Amino acid sequence: MAAPRASTDTSSGAKRAPRTIGWLLLAPLLLWLLAFVVAPTAILFVYSFCQRDELGQVVFSFTGGNYARILDPVYLGIFGRSLWYAALTTALCLVIGYPVGYYIGRSPPARRSLLLLLMMIPFWISFLLRTYAWISLLKGEGLVSSLLQGLHLLAGPLDILYTPTAVVLGLVYTYLPFMILPIFTSAEKLDHSMIEAALDLGAGPVRAFTQVIIPLTKPGIFAGVLLVFVPSIGMFAVTDLMGGAKVPMIGNVIQNQFGQARDWPFGAALGITFLALFAVAFWFLHDRGAEGRR
Amino acid sequence: MSADPSPPGAESALAARAASSKLNPNVQNHPDTQLEWEFRLTPLPAMPAMPAAGAPVSTETMVELRGVTKRFASVTAVDAVDLTIRKGEFLTLLGPSGCGKTTLLRLLAGFEIPTTGQILIEGQDVSNIPPYRRDVNQVFQSYAIFPHLTVEENIAFGLKMRHVPLAERCARVEEALALVSLAGLGKRRPHELSGGQRQRVALARALVCRPKVLLLDEPLSALDAKLRHDMQLELKQLQRQLGITFVFVTHDQEEALIMSDRIAVIHRGRIDQLGTATEIYHAPASAFTADFIGEANLLDGDIVSSNGVTALVRLDEGVEVTVRAAALRPGSTRALLSIRPEKIYITRTKPAKDNCFKGAIENEIFRGAMDELRIRVAHNLQLMAMVANESAHEHAWHKGDTVYCAIHTDDIVVVEQK
Amino acid sequence: MKNYLGSLFALGLALGAALDVSAAKKEVNLFGWSEYVPQAVLDQFEAETGIKVNYETYASNEEMLSKLLGGAAEFDLVQPSEYVVEALAAKGKLEPIDFANIPNIKNVAPEFLRQPHDPEQKYSVPYMAGTVGIVVNTAKVKEPVAGMADVFSGKYKDRIVALNDNREILTWALRVVGRDINTISPEAIAAARPVLAKWLPQIKVYDSDSPKTALLNGDVDIGVVWSGEAALLYQEDKKFAYVLPQEGAHLWIDSLVIPKGAPHKADAEKFINFILRPEVSVLISADFPYTNPNAEARKLLSAEQLANPASYPPPCKLETFHDIGKAAALVDKLITDLKGGS
Repeated sequence: MAAPRASTDTSSGAKRAPRTIGWLLLAPLLLWLLAFVVAPTAILFVYSFCQRDELGQVVFSFTGGNYARILDPVYLGIFGRSLWYAALTTALCLVIGYPVGYYIGRSPPARRSLLLLLMMIPFWISFLLRTYAWISLLKGEGLVSSLLQGLHLLAGPLDILYTPTAVVLGLVYTYLPFMILPIFTSAEKLDHSMIEAALDLGAGPVRAFTQVIIPLTKPGIFAGVLLVFVPSIGMFAVTDLMGGAKVPMIGNVIQNQFGQARDWPFGAALGITFLALFAVAFWFLHDRGAEGRR
Repeated sequence: MSADPSPPGAESALAARAASSKLNPNVQNHPDTQLEWEFRLTPLPAMPAMPAAGAPVSTETMVELRGVTKRFASVTAVDAVDLTIRKGEFLTLLGPSGCGKTTLLRLLAGFEIPTTGQILIEGQDVSNIPPYRRDVNQVFQSYAIFPHLTVEENIAFGLKMRHVPLAERCARVEEALALVSLAGLGKRRPHELSGGQRQRVALARALVCRPKVLLLDEPLSALDAKLRHDMQLELKQLQRQLGITFVFVTHDQEEALIMSDRIAVIHRGRIDQLGTATEIYHAPASAFTADFIGEANLLDGDIVSSNGVTALVRLDEGVEVTVRAAALRPGSTRALLSIRPEKIYITRTKPAKDNCFKGAIENEIFRGAMDELRIRVAHNLQLMAMVANESAHEHAWHKGDTVYCAIHTDDIVVVEQK
Repeated sequence: MKNYLGSLFALGLALGAALDVSAAKKEVNLFGWSEYVPQAVLDQFEAETGIKVNYETYASNEEMLSKLLGGAAEFDLVQPSEYVVEALAAKGKLEPIDFANIPNIKNVAPEFLRQPHDPEQKYSVPYMAGTVGIVVNTAKVKEPVAGMADVFSGKYKDRIVALNDNREILTWALRVVGRDINTISPEAIAAARPVLAKWLPQIKVYDSDSPKTALLNGDVDIGVVWSGEAALLYQEDKKFAYVLPQEGAHLWIDSLVIPKGAPHKADAEKFINFILRPEVSVLISADFPYTNPNAEARKLLSAEQLANPASYPPPCKLETFHDIGKAAALVDKLITDLKGGS
């Protein structure tokens, strides 16, 4: 019905043109999303209902068994622990990253660029190299250990490497910039007169911070929390390398299914579950965030 | 200015000073009126609901600045300022951007700490007291309305910080909303308000705290001209009604003239002149003030003679003018004179008075209510005059007309002399 | 004159070879473990035969399987471990090797032939072998360590590195409880569980890729590791002793196989035969100190190479792995659970 009407109505044709251009401009993005997000997720979804054969190949005989397996306390426990580690990492990143991001955001432009550059420099080095550098720093006979013992702050060798502490340290180190950057962006946009208005109205520094600065940088906090929390749940390299692969996280379990265990359908089911949980959490958080801003 | 045919030089530069273009419409002038010095309206706008400028305020001191200086690195923003602000006074800090008026306001608010000098509020030294412990509130230029709070929450913010009990808080918020004519809009979010409404929220938020001094940092600059003028009147009314001391910062001289009890003209971190609107307008004490407030023809000349009543000054352009001798100090030889353009009376026939110059209209500029005329009275002297707009009238002035410019001796102000 | 003719003949041959190469582009696609085939061996093979070897690598059997079975690339030679050879053969994914083209098979020591994973020696030729055993830093550990029971006696809590390989870990416990390491049943797992529940909390770090790092860094004193890692540690410092657990050890054999439908099967067999030459095989041993299954090559090894206990350990009860198929899920769950509980 719409097509013939549009062809006779020139004005609606003229209106349509920018929309066509809009879609054309969006096309690369949409294709990208389709090819690298939608398609793999769809494949994963289908796999999650399949089975594996003796060689670990995916067999298309459908079952809900993979999801039933997730409900096994073994894997539920790991889900729980992964959430706890990710939450701890996020909290630490927020506590450490907020002042840094805020400070950078409120710095004069010249210093701001320098600080941002300094923060980016580690990214030029491969993630694995940086993690191995941490291992050699933290090892029992490493630099930190020797230093602390030399200063008589520590009696024996440092015993952090291959412990949960090292895992959290590694996670915080890895994801801290993802907390700092969005908070920096929010802080940079924060109108200084808002802070002055709060002080002027009788709020001391603490209350100005909690009543005005935090609510106004909430978008940055929200983005930072998501950017840190989500990938740290799925992280497996840090747990393997710095944690000595002792405490499996959901990322390790998934990785294992696609590696050693060669159980892609189960791995896919774990991945899809993880995705669904994240979607629910995002929807919940975002809804609340939006409500706060409205 | 560009029409000035004389070669550029020191003399023409002086004449050029007269050519600034600020609006001062509240003067009527008629080309046909026989010259009557008495026929003049006050240059101040006579607003119906407005108390006359300089109406009695308390003589008690609210704020005192003693030798306050503020330096930022190598820049001295405020330079040894002494200022006394009276209780219930509407004081305006007026000056061009970068003159230090905003820094002065920030010093009063507590956002800056003086490098040297003292700030006293009701006799108490507050120089080092942080803003959140001063009984001073500010209306910010950007309004700084908290976007995450409703109108009510914004207004209640200061009361909450001061731990005012909930019931009283609610009552005072309602009262403040009514005061700024926003009753019923308390639940709105700031982004749902117009610019003028936000301005009122900012005002209510500051007033609800009942500050000893209300600081206003160019609060009207973001409003359109019409709304702005209404707000000027309303704000002045409100100040009178509440009796709160207002310190108002603006770069708009007209706004300052309309609203202020007293105006402090700030120039390069110092107070150039402090006085009522009429004093500042009619008796500018410096070339800067004369030029900055309203418009002026500024003319330099030698004092040639004096008979005790009038004195003769020969302008550097060669023209002689008569001024009141009382305006001159004994022994002065040079004087800088200021003549307001609306004080120059234009006639087609020669009036029998002092200070009458024949000239030709070089330019006629339509400025709405007024016509601005540029009249060449000597080969290197051009005067700027303002007359009521008569363009549509048969007596309208035209470019090339030969006219007489008459200036009353009393209207020639000696701004500087040495 | 004869000399002159000879030169001309040689030139003709060379030209012919060159033309042949440009016309046919002879090549073999080898999909092997990373750091397993010395470049010198590949270069020598190409110089001799004109066949170029394209060496693509993987880091685990599972990674190899994904790529091989995914069917994206066409490989002529792969280097799976014994249990993977078994699984691939059972699924019909391998070409039978024409041993008429591999006369050098005679060089391989008999104990590496006709093993359970290829009982008729139809699909595979042993490349390198090794064991999983115990490395002891004798500078720190003074008491003798003879088996897994000693390692996990409780004395070395948080001083142990172990392979991060679920099936290997399970195997150690199965031996201690006297089970067959290739029978993975819920019942066998239940039997091994209490043992592992006691052992795993004693482990400081799991690392399959480079377990020697933790030992060299001094973060641990004992390791249950691949013999290749142990051999490298021994080369580094003689204080790292290698012991095959008295309970028995896993003997792994990596073999060369030809996947089904390989495009250059004949040339692949040429390469296998080339590798089995003693003088070529020693080149591999020189770079990678695993156990060389080539008996003739061993005769050419130096005394020092043969003295490395990790490469050539004293006789012990050794067993290869069989494919366990879907039972891998049980192993995965067990180890994940026990690690999580620690």
